[in-house]
Amino acid sequence: MPIAQNPLSVEVTLEREEVALLKVTGYLDVDTATEFQHHLANQLHHGRRHFLLDLSEVPFMDSSGMNIILRVYQEARELPGSVHIISPTAAVRRVLDLTGVSITVPVSESVDEALSRVDAQPEGPRIPEA
Amino acid sequence: MSTSEQPREPAGGAPGEAPAAPPRPSGPPRSCAVDGPAADLRGMTPLSPVGRLAATVDRLSREVRAAQAEAEGRALIELAKGILVARLGCGPAQAARQLAELAEQSRVTPLEFAVDVINQAARDRVSEVTDAFLAAAVRSTDAGDGADAGEAGAGSAAVRLRAAESGALAAGDTQAVADALLEQALRPLGAAAVAIWAAGYDGSLTLAGSAGFSAAEATRWRYVPPDVTTVARCGLTERTGQWFTSLGETGLPSVGRHQYPDGGRVALPAGTGGRIHGVLEIVWPVPLAPQPPQVVRQVEALAELCAHTLESYVPPHGAGQEPRVMPDAVELMDLADGLYDPALVLVPHLDAAGHLADFRIQHVNKSFLDPAGRPRAVVGGALLLEAYPMAAGDSELFQNVERVYATGEPFRARRINLTALVDQVPLSAVADISISRHGNAVLLIWRIEDETARLASLLQHAQRLGRIGGFEENLLTGEITWNGQLFDLYGRPQTSTPVPLEELTSHAHPDDAVAIGRFLRTLLHHRRPASAAFRLQRPDGVTRHVRVVAEPVLDTDDRLLVVRGAYQDISAQHWTEVALAATRDQLAHTEQQAIERARLTLQLQHAIMPPAQAPLKVPDLQVAVRYRPAETEQLVGGDWYDAVRLPNGLVLLCVGDISGHGIEAATSMVVLRNALRGLAVTGAGPGQLLSWLNIVAHHLTGGVTATAVCGLYDPARRTLRWARAGHLPPVLVRGAQAGPLPLVKGMLLGAVAEASYEEDEVQLAAEDTLLMYTDGLIERRDRSVEEALAQLLSTVRPAPDSLDQHLDRLLTYSRSDTDDDTCLVGIRVG
Repeated sequence: MPIAQNPLSVEVTLEREEVALLKVTGYLDVDTATEFQHHLANQLHHGRRHFLLDLSEVPFMDSSGMNIILRVYQEARELPGSVHIISPTAAVRRVLDLTGVSITVPVSESVDEALSRVDAQPEGPRIPEA
Repeated sequence: MSTSEQPREPAGGAPGEAPAAPPRPSGPPRSCAVDGPAADLRGMTPLSPVGRLAATVDRLSREVRAAQAEAEGRALIELAKGILVARLGCGPAQAARQLAELAEQSRVTPLEFAVDVINQAARDRVSEVTDAFLAAAVRSTDAGDGADAGEAGAGSAAVRLRAAESGALAAGDTQAVADALLEQALRPLGAAAVAIWAAGYDGSLTLAGSAGFSAAEATRWRYVPPDVTTVARCGLTERTGQWFTSLGETGLPSVGRHQYPDGGRVALPAGTGGRIHGVLEIVWPVPLAPQPPQVVRQVEALAELCAHTLESYVPPHGAGQEPRVMPDAVELMDLADGLYDPALVLVPHLDAAGHLADFRIQHVNKSFLDPAGRPRAVVGGALLLEAYPMAAGDSELFQNVERVYATGEPFRARRINLTALVDQVPLSAVADISISRHGNAVLLIWRIEDETARLASLLQHAQRLGRIGGFEENLLTGEITWNGQLFDLYGRPQTSTPVPLEELTSHAHPDDAVAIGRFLRTLLHHRRPASAAFRLQRPDGVTRHVRVVAEPVLDTDDRLLVVRGAYQDISAQHWTEVALAATRDQLAHTEQQAIERARLTLQLQHAIMPPAQAPLKVPDLQVAVRYRPAETEQLVGGDWYDAVRLPNGLVLLCVGDISGHGIEAATSMVVLRNALRGLAVTGAGPGQLLSWLNIVAHHLTGGVTATAVCGLYDPARRTLRWARAGHLPPVLVRGAQAGPLPLVKGMLLGAVAEASYEEDEVQLAAEDTLLMYTDGLIERRDRSVEEALAQLLSTVRPAPDSLDQHLDRLLTYSRSDTDDDTCLVGIRVG
């Protein structure tokens, strides 16, 4: 199986000072989740509050990958900040819907859409959808 | 050196005296002397033929030298007899008797009397010199110094001169004269070499004879054109003896300048009857102090002697000349001098019958070191078997030289054991040998231990750094060599006696005796490299862990010659290994623990959810459950199912999946499963139950998340009301159709503090089958969950008769590729 052949690649660009765009390429699973988590933790450490996760090149994501997204979501919510998922593939979108993560973590079709959602977010701790 | 029993020509001062014997056959007489008895000896001493042979050769060599001296004396006696025959007009026998009687009357030896007779007859320069010597001797006797010594000294000087003359005249050519002069007269004066130059009519000089120079040097100087100023030319042009303290100071070129750059030189015109025939050049190895008149006169007498031979000297004519040394041998000598290894140039030596008897050592190069430590000059010029009698022995060195000479096929061998006799003591050395033929000569090169020594010094450094003690044990001589490190390692002073390998056991811990025994057997009996680790017990009471490594060194005959090797103090390493072993044990223990934990998890799973549960008794409803743990024990995790009839008559159906694996996941699973059972008793709907369960999960330590699907089946209405928390929806199998229920909204458990869950209700009919499962059943990376599920369901169509069979087949044909544990709950209505 193409796990070894497709190592995870995470490309980080700063859209704004506090907004990091992480473009993920490869499988997000139990083998790569830790690396993905390190990238996110690093950005948190550098003071980013908003995380835009471009998952358009992630063909598969399992619960490990999803848990990382949930974890950064919980961290960002305390800052306060936000997590946005951008252009997930059908399979990943399916997992997000299955697990209900897409209820909590907004899914955008583009970076601009995500940025406008960041702008729209009120300052202060986010009130979870209940 | 060349001598003969009889002068071929009478002395210059005594013409007409009859030659007594025909010229002797070519080749030194001593080789004959060696070959004869030595050959006999071979058969006589079977026990140690070569050793005895060598000893005999040594003895015979000495006898031959004595005989030679005697022969020279006999030549003088014969000459005196010849004079008496002429003067007294008697026969040779009477002349001999007369000589003996006169000698007895004069109270001198017959030899000394013979010299007197010759002197009286000759009345030449030699006589004058002899008289002067005698006079000087008498004066010193008068002065009161030991009369016998003085007389004997004068007498022997006279004998010496006449012997030189006799030798010179007996010699067939000027070359032999040079040899005789050097050996008989000039070496006693401290000279090292002599050259006799023949003067050409045009003023050129031709080297008519020389001794003490290398053959190659003599060949280079065979001709000096006119008008080239050399030392010899000075003697020719000045017509008087030229005495130079040091050749270097003159700045003049001459033969042998590189060999004796600073030595003294004398160039004497050699003339008879007012005509100069050539020049006698004498070479001293060291600067020459002004000499006493006696020496000057003696040397002038020698120059006159040379003149007699030069008088009849016919310069060789160019191409017609037969060189004394073959040109290829000359080249070979130059080549040999350029080598950094000891090299010998050998030329064949034929016996009287023309058979190859031996090889003469024509040349020894500058790097030559005799294995027996003899000076180069002793070996150079000697016969090979005479210099190295043991060459005929086991090493077959001589046979190899013979074969190379015969066939021209080079011979190369490593580690030949060379033995040389020095004062009857055999000294052995291991050497690499190369023998090759060039023209008529054979080049023999060997390399003794030099390279080994260099490597050894390198090794010394390595050994010091590695705390390695090196040793070498010669099994023939019993000699043991240790380096300093080894003494330190053994805790013994450098001056103490090394411990032989065979006594190793007595220096080691008794328990290591077997290991050492095995080591020695491998090394000495099987002759293979061996090593052993043992505890060395030092005299100071310290025990060191030591490893010994050794290898046998065999000679070409596969005899065990030497054992060499090294001891290494591995105490530090040893304790590291001990520590490592302990760590390894600990690791194994940890591993064992991990396995036990995995097993514990599994047992926990089984205790809570038996793989096959006792059937649930509900009217018109089959309920079946399956749990399949992950194949890898460590991956056994947090899947759970539940199927229980609640007090209100409803049946709680549930499947859940805790993220992660191992005992923590299993513990969380237990918490959630029991919590759900407890909450269900309240009679709340599935959405509410999951909402509460989310709160439970959210407060579990370690950020646990879980997915679950939860349904309440009402047997009376045949309805299932259900909700899901991030989990795959149930699948409904109805007839030929199979599909998942709609994806109602529901966040996975534990991710957020509060979540709400949509509910849905499905009306079931008889024969309907409803499946709840965890993603271990269908999860594949290369396709969507729906595809995988559809594929799975199609493989189990038509639905088997029993629900249990159905579930078993689902597990069997599952094409999941993620080794995950799997839970499956099914109900069948009817």
